[in-house]
Amino acid sequence: MSLSTVLPAPAPAPVPAEGTPVAVRVPDTDTHLAVADGLLSLLRTTTTEPRPDEQLEALTLAVAADLPVLLWGEPGIGKTAALTRLAASLGLPLTTVIASVHEPSDFSGLPIVGDDPAVQGVPMAPPQWAVELVRAGRGLLFLDELSTATPAVQAALLRVVLERRVGALQLPPGVRIVAAANPRASAADGWELSPPLANRFVHLYWVHDQEVVVRGLGGVWPRAELPRLAPESLADAVAFARRVVCGFLAARPTLIHRLPSTETRRGGAWPSPRSWDAALTLLAFGTAASVSREVLALLVRGAVGDGPGLELLAYLDRLDLPDPETLLADPAAAELPERGDLRQATLEAVVAAVGARPDRARWEAAWAVLVRALETGTADLLVAPATALAAVRRDDWEVPETMDRLAGVVGLARQADRSVERVAAAAAAAERAAAGTHR
Amino acid sequence: MEKLLAARLHAVKVRPYLADALFALRVVEDRSVPTMAVDAHWRCYVSPGFVARMPVEELAGVWVHEVSHLLRDHHGRGERYARQHEEFGPGERSETGVHPSEGWGRLRRNIAADFEINDDIYGDGLPLPAGVVLPSLLRLPGGLLMEEYLGTASLSGLAADLAWLDCGSGADGQDRPWELGPDGAHGLSRHQQDAVRFRVAEGIKGRPGEAPQGWRRWADEAFQPPQPWRQLLGAAVRAAAGAPGAGENHSYRRPSRRSASVPGVVLPSLRRTPPAVCVVIDTSGSVSDAELGSALLEVAAISRAVGGRRDLVSVISCDAAAGVAVPLCRAENIELVGGGGTDLRSGFARALRSRPRPDVIVALTDGQTPWPSAPPPCRTVVGLFPRPARAADEENPDYVPDTPPSWARVVTIG
Repeated sequence: MSLSTVLPAPAPAPVPAEGTPVAVRVPDTDTHLAVADGLLSLLRTTTTEPRPDEQLEALTLAVAADLPVLLWGEPGIGKTAALTRLAASLGLPLTTVIASVHEPSDFSGLPIVGDDPAVQGVPMAPPQWAVELVRAGRGLLFLDELSTATPAVQAALLRVVLERRVGALQLPPGVRIVAAANPRASAADGWELSPPLANRFVHLYWVHDQEVVVRGLGGVWPRAELPRLAPESLADAVAFARRVVCGFLAARPTLIHRLPSTETRRGGAWPSPRSWDAALTLLAFGTAASVSREVLALLVRGAVGDGPGLELLAYLDRLDLPDPETLLADPAAAELPERGDLRQATLEAVVAAVGARPDRARWEAAWAVLVRALETGTADLLVAPATALAAVRRDDWEVPETMDRLAGVVGLARQADRSVERVAAAAAAAERAAAGTHR
Repeated sequence: MEKLLAARLHAVKVRPYLADALFALRVVEDRSVPTMAVDAHWRCYVSPGFVARMPVEELAGVWVHEVSHLLRDHHGRGERYARQHEEFGPGERSETGVHPSEGWGRLRRNIAADFEINDDIYGDGLPLPAGVVLPSLLRLPGGLLMEEYLGTASLSGLAADLAWLDCGSGADGQDRPWELGPDGAHGLSRHQQDAVRFRVAEGIKGRPGEAPQGWRRWADEAFQPPQPWRQLLGAAVRAAAGAPGAGENHSYRRPSRRSASVPGVVLPSLRRTPPAVCVVIDTSGSVSDAELGSALLEVAAISRAVGGRRDLVSVISCDAAAGVAVPLCRAENIELVGGGGTDLRSGFARALRSRPRPDVIVALTDGQTPWPSAPPPCRTVVGLFPRPARAADEENPDYVPDTPPSWARVVTIG
């Protein structure tokens, strides 16, 4: 059978409508296309500019940390374009594999029956893209359309994403993996991600930024730059990340492993020892590259989920608060946080420290801290700590002079109390009046 | 200033769960602000004159009101709404001939945001101020979201009366001349705002008795935005029908079409085994017909979408006893019989006896039923109509129905 018999018969040439000058157009095609090419190449000439872009920074950092990243985003939002630019700026060749059009054997290896399977076994041959990736030794593997891949393909992908194996082939360490998926709301006919696969990724939600799009269409796209890791701070960053994550999980053991229980959380990030390990890595990378808290928040929440991620970040914020003992040692120079809620938390920690080890000198030092807080901020924050500190007092301790300066705070508290009482009295009066009319 | 701080203390005293958010606000005094306003970076702008005229207890209410705008992310939601409905476009500007921040679109969003807040923050220690903006002004129901008010009501009847209303960009997402902007001092970054929201939400969830219904709902949804049940039910049925053992999967029963081009390679082919879906419907008196109708249509549409043939989708109506399985193809007008008490166990048993044996059982119920003690030998999806927690049985008020078992995937409908 020749090849031509397999091929379908060529389609009949379209019959030109009457009066159409067909013959003229053919010789012109070359020049037309050349002009069109010229126009296209002009259109495609864009430049990049360095631009602070949090989601791009987070993506770059996760790619640098060699963690598989999953980009969630509506179709057409520019996930692929962002990756193309990322690969270009990192100098990595980009290999795109559309997961949904492949079969499980494309990822687990194609079994090839040799001469003597009983002796030699059946090798699992890798597909071409994998072989080329290994030959190049480095590259960005982009698994697109992950959420529309069938469950069997997703199962086969588990091994690619985690163990970096395609059939018998081990992907070299220089290969980074990024995947993309459409959120369930827009992928009406998609499968959802199974929790085991979801747990292996750092989930980043890709949204378009109006300014970036407008400027990009104008010819200037943002440029991703590898976060600069400071070589001298690597050891410190690792120690810091370990201290934070271990300290946090020691305090919140229930957050170590929590399978997604409700339907809304399926297919997203959830905490497990594996994803906490990822969070630790990201924390160390973020610290060494000194990225902003915003980027760190995107990454940590993407690794372990919103709730646990936010709790870890709140724990980090608390670590930033000044140590109560330092404040007590030198109240006059105390540096208190500017933000009201953090300031109050700091003052409460100071009072708690005095309460844990009460002696007169510490008690007076705590009053001095409160005075310092009054000098540098608003007075209403002091009411709760001052009341608590007054309760710590022993009978033989004399009231320090500094307390006089807090008289305004007491006045403020009284004013608030009176106003609460007024409202309560008015409400009671209204109730009585209503009962009266009722009767 | 002192009056303002006393008011904040009052607010913290009567709404302790909002303390973190209230204290996180940075006060900026500015004479050009009409009353009191917040920006998207959690700064609170205050007109000294306004503070002087107001009694402390009403100022406390204003504090809670303004912080509610921020906690409920009205700036982000207002901006998204405006962008979707093109109110930032040139139309708004040319029609009114004024700067968009003075425009009608901004005021509309501010009014709708106030509607969402005001119906549940006053009372219980905070006096209801005179002239407060309530949905009842337009004879609208309370308890809706800002977007719903924007969508349903024209709000134009209030425009003249409320032109003074201005809660700042924190309420509607449009910048004001007096605001310090993102680069100004003492703003909260997005991550810090999320952290404050999270602490407040956790505080409300930790002590559920203290906060009113509206705040509890907000706390539940602050970081888990509710998803439409249709999509959740669809995903659950699709996952159940597509899981290994049911529906589409790879098989070696026939060689793949690709095998011809790669001699020596054994390839599986993609075969579709249409899943048989059995819908067990709770027809006891406690489930309304409208609820059942919408859910049933949805299940039928989904099972067709995953490739189930119509004759493979069957419906069993079940109250205390199960009816017969009716194939969906002649069930365009399914007669749902029942109306008495509920025992879904008989429905499950009947479903498992039916031929072809179901790959997926979808139970639509309000959950006021006993459940099978052992998982059935197929995937189970439960579509649950939410019911307020109350005793279902009047003769035995201590009776609490079992929650759906853990082996079923549960989607709350409605």
